[in-house]
Amino acid sequence: MSPLSTPPSPGFSRRTLLAASAAGLALLAAGCSSPSAGPAEQVTSKQADALAAQVAVQQTLVAAYKAAGAADPALAAAVAELASQADAQLTRLKAASPGSNGSSSAPPPAAGPDPKGWLRAQVAAAADSHAAAAVDQSGARAALLGSIAAGLRGQDGRLA
Amino acid sequence: MADDDAPGALNQGTENAALSDALAAEHAAVWGYGVVGGALGENARSQAEDAESAHRAVRDQVSALLAGRKADVVDAQGAYALPFPVLSAVDAAALGVVLEEGVAKAWVRVLDQAAERSTRELAVGTLSATELRAVAWRVAAGKTPVTTPFPGLPPK
Repeated sequence: MSPLSTPPSPGFSRRTLLAASAAGLALLAAGCSSPSAGPAEQVTSKQADALAAQVAVQQTLVAAYKAAGAADPALAAAVAELASQADAQLTRLKAASPGSNGSSSAPPPAAGPDPKGWLRAQVAAAADSHAAAAVDQSGARAALLGSIAAGLRGQDGRLA
Repeated sequence: MADDDAPGALNQGTENAALSDALAAEHAAVWGYGVVGGALGENARSQAEDAESAHRAVRDQVSALLAGRKADVVDAQGAYALPFPVLSAVDAAALGVVLEEGVAKAWVRVLDQAAERSTRELAVGTLSATELRAVAWRVAAGKTPVTTPFPGLPPK
């Protein structure tokens, strides 16, 4: 134990780190499409449509990573982890929105002369979109969209 | 006014409970950044000071929100047990990661439990700021990957 540590407190793990891992978050892990979802998880048609729209936003971002990588192979290698995380976000969003269309309706994006700067703008736009959508959702959908928005803010920072 | 008053649905009670947990996390972060700053050199200390200041501001905002609702306002503890010894700048950065990730979990919980749109706005903004700081600390701590796709969410 570090001399800087001064228990008798319960410590971070009890007071802070586990504070958010209460049973309610099991819903988040399971996604919001569970048929056993409780009253708090009832989805209005407006919310379902809005979540499907965020799937399309994420599909556009995944396509943007591919387009930027195709335009600049060195960039593709540098952002491989970020692209993989964007893919994981898309997978989880699709799982939470089973009624959403699996294919993007938007045409493939073009990276332009500054692929990294363009990609960063795409990431920031997707983060803005998910953050705004999170506020209009509730329960597990709000948590998922808010988390993804935050993850993309982190990506934006890495691309700066 | 809450968005949904149906029995068992999200309401101000669920929201206040989650905000109370977030407040506890913010208290711990403010305290923890004192440790982080103390273990960093003078040149790097401003990063910890800025983070501490940000958490103080959120802490005060949540305290005022809960007090205004006449809900319980959890106090800071006198001290907290560190999850590991903090004896170097790398340790300090790793503690910064722990602090921000702990706070992120609490704010995702707020998003999950909030009834008010304004509370979700606060949660989304705070969660994003938290992840930006976490990325910087992961870099400083040499942790990879430095970004995470789902800050605050439990693994699926």
